[in-house]
Amino acid sequence: MPNKILTVDDSKTVRAIVRKTLKAFDCEILEAGDGVEGLAVAAKNMPDMILLDVTMPLMDGVEMLAKLKSSPQLKSIPVMMLTAEGGKDNILKIAKMGIRDYIVKPFKEEVLIEKVSRIIELKPSSEGAAKVRLLTDAASILVVDDKPAIVQQIRNGLKHTPWVIHDVNTQNAAVEFLAKGACDLIIISLSLPEEAAFTLFRTIRSNAKTKYTPIFGLLVKTDTAPMQHAQTVGYTILVTKPIDMAELESKVAKALNLDVSSRYFSSEGDVLVLHVPESCSPVALSEIGSYLKPKLAAAVDCGNNHAIIDVCAVKTLDMGVIKLLLAAMQTCRDLGVQYVIVGNPQIIAESKAFEETSSWVFLDSMEAAKAKFAAPLGV
Amino acid sequence: MSTIQALGEPIVRAHITRAVTDVLKVMLKSRVEAVAPGGPWGEVPPEVTAQLAAPHVVGSVGFVGDINGLVYLCLPTPFARMATCRLLGLSDSELTDAGEAPVTDAVGELTNMTVGSFKNALCDAGFPCMLTIPSIITGCQISVESVGATERCLYAFECSGHQLVAAVLMRTND
Repeated sequence: MPNKILTVDDSKTVRAIVRKTLKAFDCEILEAGDGVEGLAVAAKNMPDMILLDVTMPLMDGVEMLAKLKSSPQLKSIPVMMLTAEGGKDNILKIAKMGIRDYIVKPFKEEVLIEKVSRIIELKPSSEGAAKVRLLTDAASILVVDDKPAIVQQIRNGLKHTPWVIHDVNTQNAAVEFLAKGACDLIIISLSLPEEAAFTLFRTIRSNAKTKYTPIFGLLVKTDTAPMQHAQTVGYTILVTKPIDMAELESKVAKALNLDVSSRYFSSEGDVLVLHVPESCSPVALSEIGSYLKPKLAAAVDCGNNHAIIDVCAVKTLDMGVIKLLLAAMQTCRDLGVQYVIVGNPQIIAESKAFEETSSWVFLDSMEAAKAKFAAPLGV
Repeated sequence: MSTIQALGEPIVRAHITRAVTDVLKVMLKSRVEAVAPGGPWGEVPPEVTAQLAAPHVVGSVGFVGDINGLVYLCLPTPFARMATCRLLGLSDSELTDAGEAPVTDAVGELTNMTVGSFKNALCDAGFPCMLTIPSIITGCQISVESVGATERCLYAFECSGHQLVAAVLMRTND
């Protein structure tokens, strides 16, 4: 359930600025133009906090605050005063009335977010978080590393993706960069001098805008102390050097909630095709495995119950591929999906050598596979 | 009652300059430069005054207390529209569709913040006072004059290629 924030201000501009500032967060913004309306909206909706202007017509903020505090139902709602009256006497006067905080106009959006997040938890908007992004969607990645060779390696390894790689080499530069605009993911070298990686991590996490941004730590495999420290403080994922770029890409895709199923699954008419790639790395096998049930279930849901498992690109039948194929066939059976396997001569020959695979029947082309669906089949 | 002479024009100039600069820098993320005064006592160069003939949106807020006065913030209409778009995250065409109300409200709020900052500086300098409610005027051939016991100072600023004028009027001693 999103937090409700009531903003009470006679200025539509200020109410619009508050709404715009908090748009990225999972909260419902309620509005009122004066104290009278504010009390009515508060009583009806019981907001989680109130942003209250001081100078308003009809009933000003001070009077509304007094009425809130005298209401058993409303007195516990935290109030933050929004005021152009920044004089010491005025601040002292309203502070004595029991406000949680105040903010003097003009205010920076970051300051408003920071102060609100101290009172209620601001989570990124559920619309943004739940939306699955596609492989073709752009994303912004910040690399914080003082070793140009590592930065270049990451750039080269990810250049085939639509992701934009930014790089800085110090903690301060990273903070400056993030102040100008958020990134979708941050990669920090844990070998930055003077524990900068951990200071930077804390800084990023203390900012409401970046509190939930995935942060990867880069380190050498044998650096056990920083590894443990990073795991303790809550780095999202640790990536060890030398960097396996395919693995990094997969981890980034997962952290960004990217749908990578299009690499492996396609629909041809009413047939779902699983293309097992030539390079069956553990990463690829894991990715395919995670999509098996959802993709097959979605196909069945659409009225399609035919599947082709295409291993023509695979060079050798190793245990990883065998396990994947076994899982694929089991899932098909569980969901009532008719399936066939299409293979190349090498794979067909190798399959005879394993007990688990010796009984498998392969077809030698996609056309033959599609034609097979006319008759009852199985392996 | 204190007077503008007791306060000193340089103090008035420093406070209003900081107020305008801070508000526009924070709310619009724009750099503001004070235009050199046209005279010794809060005057603006003639070429700035001439620009007040063009359409402007003018916000005014007063302050009352140990020191009384009024500040007019004169914004050229294109600047007022640009500021409104930036504050509300609207495109120019969206603003056109929304009508004049958002511009009026935005200028009123910018003036409220500016005079609020100015007034806070007066309070901290030992002249407690409170703000009045903002009002907005739109039109051309804008002229702000003082009458009787009121003194007027004009200050010009340049922001995003536009020239803005802040007119500060304060009550003198009888």
